[in-house]
Amino acid sequence: MTSKTRANLFIGLGCLALGLVVAFIWVPLDTDTGLIEKVRRRVSIGDALAPTIAAAFVGLGGLLLLLSERNAEVQPFPSRNNLRFVLFFLVMLVIVFGVMRWAGPFAVQLTGSDEPYRTLRDTAPWKWIGFALGGFGLVVSLISAVERRLRLRTVIIGVAAVIALIAIFDLPFDDLLLPPNGDV
Amino acid sequence: MDVAGYIWLGILAVFQGPELSFLGFSLPATPVMVLCGFLLGIMVGATPGLAGPMAMAISLPILISSFGYNPDALLPVMGFLIGVMKGSTIGGAVPAILFNTPGTPDAYMTTLDGYPMTRRGKARKALRVAHFSSASGDTFSDVVLILCAPFLAVLVEAYLDLPEKTALLILSLAFIAAVIGGSIGKGLIATGLGLLAAYVGTGDDFYPRLSMGTQELAQGFPITTAVLGVLILGEVFKGIEDSLRHATSPGALQEVREEGDQSLRATDIRRILPFIGRSAVIGTAIGALPGVGSTLAATLGYTVGRNRHARRKAPDHKDFGEGAMEGIASTEAANSSVSGANLIPVLSLGIPGNAAAVFLILAAESIGGFNPGPTVFKFTTDSVNPELVVAFGLFTTMFIANALNWTVGGVFMRTMSVMIRIPKHILLPCVLLLTLTAIYVQETRLVAIWFAIGFGVLGYLMRRTGISPLPFVIAFILGGKLEETARQAFAATGGDPFFLFSSPVALLLMALTLVVILTSLRPKKEPASP
Repeated sequence: MTSKTRANLFIGLGCLALGLVVAFIWVPLDTDTGLIEKVRRRVSIGDALAPTIAAAFVGLGGLLLLLSERNAEVQPFPSRNNLRFVLFFLVMLVIVFGVMRWAGPFAVQLTGSDEPYRTLRDTAPWKWIGFALGGFGLVVSLISAVERRLRLRTVIIGVAAVIALIAIFDLPFDDLLLPPNGDV
Repeated sequence: MDVAGYIWLGILAVFQGPELSFLGFSLPATPVMVLCGFLLGIMVGATPGLAGPMAMAISLPILISSFGYNPDALLPVMGFLIGVMKGSTIGGAVPAILFNTPGTPDAYMTTLDGYPMTRRGKARKALRVAHFSSASGDTFSDVVLILCAPFLAVLVEAYLDLPEKTALLILSLAFIAAVIGGSIGKGLIATGLGLLAAYVGTGDDFYPRLSMGTQELAQGFPITTAVLGVLILGEVFKGIEDSLRHATSPGALQEVREEGDQSLRATDIRRILPFIGRSAVIGTAIGALPGVGSTLAATLGYTVGRNRHARRKAPDHKDFGEGAMEGIASTEAANSSVSGANLIPVLSLGIPGNAAAVFLILAAESIGGFNPGPTVFKFTTDSVNPELVVAFGLFTTMFIANALNWTVGGVFMRTMSVMIRIPKHILLPCVLLLTLTAIYVQETRLVAIWFAIGFGVLGYLMRRTGISPLPFVIAFILGGKLEETARQAFAATGGDPFFLFSSPVALLLMALTLVVILTSLRPKKEPASP
């Protein structure tokens, strides 16, 4: 039996375990009311019931996979390469959003400005620095990863994408904040 | 106010609502937005790798920012989304016919006869057949929607009380879990995960449940992060990985040569009309069921059309699969007639049936002032029900989109062959940045972006394990409503734990739920190849 044909077994077991953990550990520990509540002789549904039913859905789905779909002909499952891609992607996003978050405040510090970034976050060009560098990095790194080289065309696309988004979301609206300016 | 009065108010709301200024002229915003959405939809549909829901997701925050959070924004915003929904369906046929590449999944069957026609030098004729069939199916479906949705809603309000409504929601979720993706086990897992995500940080108690004591989870997952994450980012992640693994450039496209008569004559229309009629009925019936998508409608429409064609075709007519225009007509009429009928469960029950309907509900929830569901169709006589005016306004926008489809749709569609030249690996990173920016400007906190990325990874893994993300999204949207209805039903029945089985209708709905689950557990026969 290859791992491909055992995919439903793994998914089924995983979901069954997840359903049990949620229903018997997470929900009881992380809700203040039970399945059914009785307050002043009035019976009502407690906060734990709905997530417990949701966990039951997950567990039941897992059980059905184990019992009735274990030998299904097509059983897709993420390969090691898929998981490696997810990891690469997440690392890249952490770097890109790190740049986006800190580039603006860093630029303010570099110029020796007396004002903190927070007071400048809705002022051009400061408000665009983080978004522009992070957004540019995101677009260029992904395109370059696919093309396996950095081309001038890619750089132009990255710049154009960032300028277009600033034009769409920032220039026409006074009340919208580009990332990361709502957090700093 | 009578029904005619409401219809008139709905039409007025569209043409006398908010205005847009263009070159010094004031134009009614809603029809203009329907036009913009429709044209964008055709462009998106004609671009392999993009889809209508993606464009709807990205446009929504921009539209809401432009029109504001007030009931006046409902019709322009939802009109735009309806335009995208309709435009993307006909746009999908363009690359399918010209380049053997379906622009949208439901246009796959169009390639079977569309591309052979192109190779025979009949590309423009094939596009005209696709457009005529698509517009016909769409119009039929909209008429059925307008006739059925109000009656269904009135029936629901008249005969279903709180326990029955709870049972109906459970039946809908079970049905969606059973029919989407072809695996009841995986459907239930997706539904359960969607419900679980919906219940984080919510509840009646002072302590926000399942929040692990953190401030971030205490506010719950914003609906945009879950919906856009699982539906859009998951697809983008998968698309980027596919591009990484199979780095290809679109290269030079084969020039489309044309030979002979390219027009759609009356004799051609007479030939394809029976196929359009059958497929329109099939697509509308399938579209009215929550969760059953246009791809199934296209497959069924094509199969039924092929069987009829095999029995009755003239000796000189092409077979299905060899460039029969009846094949294009069967597919395009079926997949286009899904879009209007898909709004029947949305407007009459508040249950989204497909991804496009999810974004209409998202728009209504974000803007406020319109809660899709049976209460919309309360024909109050002593005062005006504003939600009913919006509903008739939406019907008006659908007819405007239909009129555009019949007039400019065909011409615009035939100019869109250039969209296939945009490489997917360049498009997807831009869509990713656009989606994340759209989420941020709505939520204004970086943690929302991380939630969306988390849901995106979940959506990616679901796709890689063959679990459809749509039940997750629909369960997430319906989760709060299901709990609230159940709480009210429980209280109204005096704490009866068997309230779901206390009335014949509720009992019937619960029995149907069981039937749906048990039926889907039966081993499936191998489908006949199309």
